[in-house]
Amino acid sequence: MRQLLKRHWQRWLSRRIPPAASVRLTQRRIFIVPTRVGVVFALALLLMLLAAINYQNSLAYALTFLLASVFIVAILHTYRNLAGLVLKAAGAPSVFVGEQGPFRLRLESSARAHQAITLGWPSTAYQTRDVPAQGVSECELSLPALRRGWLRPGRLRVESRFPLGILVAWSWVDLDQALLVYPQPLEGELPLAAGADDELDEQGMRAQGPGSEDFQGLKRYQPGDSKRRLHWKAYSRGQGLLVKDFAALSGREPWLDFEALAGDVELRLSLLCYWVLQLSERQQPFALCLPGQLLAPASGEQHRDACLRALALFGTPA
Amino acid sequence: MSGQADIPRISLTWLLVAQLLVIVPHLSHLPLWIVGLWLGCAAWRIQVLRMRAGYPNAWVKAGLLLGTAVGVLLSRGSLIGLDAGVVLLVAAFILKLLEMRTRRDALVVIFLGFFVVVSAYLFDDSLLAALFSLLPVTALLAALIGLQQSGVAAQPWATARLAAGLLLQAVPLMLLLFVFFPRLGPLWSLPLPSERAVSGLAESMAPADIAELSRSGGLAFRASFAGAVPPREQLYWRALTFEHFDGRRWSQSAFARLPQVPAWEKQGEPLHYSIVMQPSSQSWLFALDVAETSLENTRQMSDYRLQRGRPVERTLLYQVTSWPAAVREPAASSDSLRRVLQLPEDGDPRSRAWGAELKRQYPQPGQLVQAVLSHFNREPFGYTLRPPRLGLNSIDDFLFESRNGFCAHYAGAMTFVLRAAGIPARVVAGYQGGEYNPGGDYVQVRQFDAHAWVEYWQAGKGWVSVDPTFQVAPERIELGLEEALVDEQSFLEGSPFSPLRYRQLTWLNQLRLGWDNLNHGWQRLVLGYQGAQQLELLQRWFGRIDARVLALGLVGGGGLLLGLLALWLFKPWQRARDPQQRLFRRFERLLARHAVLRQPGEGARAFAERAALALPAQAQAIHDFAAAFEAQRYAGQEPCSALLRAHLRVLRRALPWR
Repeated sequence: MRQLLKRHWQRWLSRRIPPAASVRLTQRRIFIVPTRVGVVFALALLLMLLAAINYQNSLAYALTFLLASVFIVAILHTYRNLAGLVLKAAGAPSVFVGEQGPFRLRLESSARAHQAITLGWPSTAYQTRDVPAQGVSECELSLPALRRGWLRPGRLRVESRFPLGILVAWSWVDLDQALLVYPQPLEGELPLAAGADDELDEQGMRAQGPGSEDFQGLKRYQPGDSKRRLHWKAYSRGQGLLVKDFAALSGREPWLDFEALAGDVELRLSLLCYWVLQLSERQQPFALCLPGQLLAPASGEQHRDACLRALALFGTPA
Repeated sequence: MSGQADIPRISLTWLLVAQLLVIVPHLSHLPLWIVGLWLGCAAWRIQVLRMRAGYPNAWVKAGLLLGTAVGVLLSRGSLIGLDAGVVLLVAAFILKLLEMRTRRDALVVIFLGFFVVVSAYLFDDSLLAALFSLLPVTALLAALIGLQQSGVAAQPWATARLAAGLLLQAVPLMLLLFVFFPRLGPLWSLPLPSERAVSGLAESMAPADIAELSRSGGLAFRASFAGAVPPREQLYWRALTFEHFDGRRWSQSAFARLPQVPAWEKQGEPLHYSIVMQPSSQSWLFALDVAETSLENTRQMSDYRLQRGRPVERTLLYQVTSWPAAVREPAASSDSLRRVLQLPEDGDPRSRAWGAELKRQYPQPGQLVQAVLSHFNREPFGYTLRPPRLGLNSIDDFLFESRNGFCAHYAGAMTFVLRAAGIPARVVAGYQGGEYNPGGDYVQVRQFDAHAWVEYWQAGKGWVSVDPTFQVAPERIELGLEEALVDEQSFLEGSPFSPLRYRQLTWLNQLRLGWDNLNHGWQRLVLGYQGAQQLELLQRWFGRIDARVLALGLVGGGGLLLGLLALWLFKPWQRARDPQQRLFRRFERLLARHAVLRQPGEGARAFAERAALALPAQAQAIHDFAAAFEAQRYAGQEPCSALLRAHLRVLRRALPWR
């Protein structure tokens, strides 16, 4: 029953306030009711009225009526504080799972100032902003990114209790915002496409030369490293157990392959994500191979973003 | 939002200001230690605000609470009752301000503040008090607004201006509610403030024991006449009668307390007037003889006074019709006459003898009364507010020895002598005269206008009023107390700064009369606006009055006022205030007349290109306008309506007229 009502309510809302990147709060989109403070205020007025009646005191009547009128006039003021405000989506940069997804908003005033505008999603902490007359106020709200893929925050609550706090005017705004959540990067073995192993051996050696920069082509073995990457030649020279750190590789583009990994899908995506970031940071061209999707070897931010996007959206309905 | 958040600085500032403003009107009737408590707590709270002190801990709070309760108990004698209740309310307001930390606490303080303002009205509901109370109300509202402000950018004065603006905008609606909201009678009885009502009238009088009578200039009542104001010497305002004399003290007879409608006939022209009476804590009203009033719960008693069911604790407005020429009780029962012939068992032998002698001399009661009056007139009697104390036989002492006194002496002595002569008589207490206020066309009667006179009964003529004081000091009746006391200088001795003492200063006197006029209007129109007045006013405006008219007036009037306020607040006619936007609309309308309609969401450029295709002959003009509009709107060019208007004009001329 509640679910049904909720669906009904959402449908009604999206008819009334259709999603858009820029929403102007107008009469049809603002709701207003007394707050709990307002109810207490009304009760206090009732007590004053009782005092006025029992003491037959005209001034007590007058003050009661004055405050009651203030209550009613405050409806207009509370509404006015929200009316005419324009909310615009101002971008939502991508984040990784486990981070806070920032949604940027612009509050624009077309005429008068709007004070103490509170914004937020019901599940998060609300933020309060003042918007100067004919001015702009920026606001960044964040939601925890729990799952990869598109993060759609749902309807944003915009409310204002200004000036008296006895009434609350609010609107549910859908700025049609979405934020891409990449998988959480997890450090782990390099998921190379099968068959590239032998060549890597050579390249690993090469990287050890004087030309190598701030990293080692080989690093000390740690439990969990793939045994396939143990550098046996070094071991036989008595240099201990070393692992080929493919990061040192240059010249040939590594192919990051989903199929080369074991484990569940999310884990594999996380590992791939880690390597996409690592390789991009070193400006090493690489290719990404996902089932049914291949991103040709390249480097640069664009390539990285395309790869991350592919990882984020892997297996999700487009 | 959360009630736990800190109180914004602005709100706190205004709360401290509000506290001062809320408490000031109470100072006159609060015990002094409350002021000490307030100053201490305010200083402490300010130190907390400046981070120089901490909040009181639980022990300190408990101690303060207990101390306050004990203080109230000591200074008010009880913890219940209105006086103690108000002290407790103010104390709670002070202590809560000290310990408040969160927004919820601040809300409690603000609501308490409103209650303290209301409680001040019970003690003082004058025009000045009402105007002053707008200050604390504004400050409390400012504190309420401050709670909603984030605090960094907000300015205290801007917040107060907003609060004052809200109040101002609420005024029309408040007036509507005030006029139309139905007034009910008290739902249950409540204690009233113990009024220190100064009255020139007491329930009994013992002139022999008064060495000095200093009367206050306090207001007793004001009377507005529907027609011409009768001359001063006819203004004898009856309050009550004294029929019983015990040798020193005149008092009301027990019989006078019984409601018994006396026999009287309406004769002559009636006088219509209304009286706004100050609280007296007594239940008798003031009126000229013989009076009828429409006031509920009020009746005429056997001695023609008007008696209300309960004491007058609030300013009271009532309408009276009086028939000065009425004949009162032409045929009285012997029972009631015996009561007004009562004399003490013994004492005052010389007066009794004089009475008996007069009776022998003048068989006609009328002649006898005249003889007594002319005796007062002829013999060296004097009028003074500093009479000598009188001995055991007070009437004898006054009539034959001291021969100096004020109205109570003369009225008492004359009644005594008349009774000794076998004429039924009694003392009437009330007010005489009053000051005419030409600005407001009403008579104001003050406590020093209190007076006592005599009425005697004569078969066939009924009760007749006479005033022995008039024989001694006619200026007291014709001009007022001040003139009667020119030599003695005892007029308002106790209050050297009373403006009444400086009536010879014309401008001051005019100021005083004007101010009094204002207060009179305030009392009649605002304070007196209760049940009967409301009905009368509404009936005058709307003819018939019932629940439907009231509801219609409230809802209809309220809707209208709110609509006007909304218009004024939102100014919908200024919506397209942006001149470029307005000119673009005109551009749109112009092209619409030539069947080129802008699609929803179509940009200025796209629209112009489409229009140029549709109207190739005017393409240049259309492009010019669109380009200028775009440049000003989006390319940061200086807005220039004149340029746009010029382009529009060119386009209009290029287009065939349609």
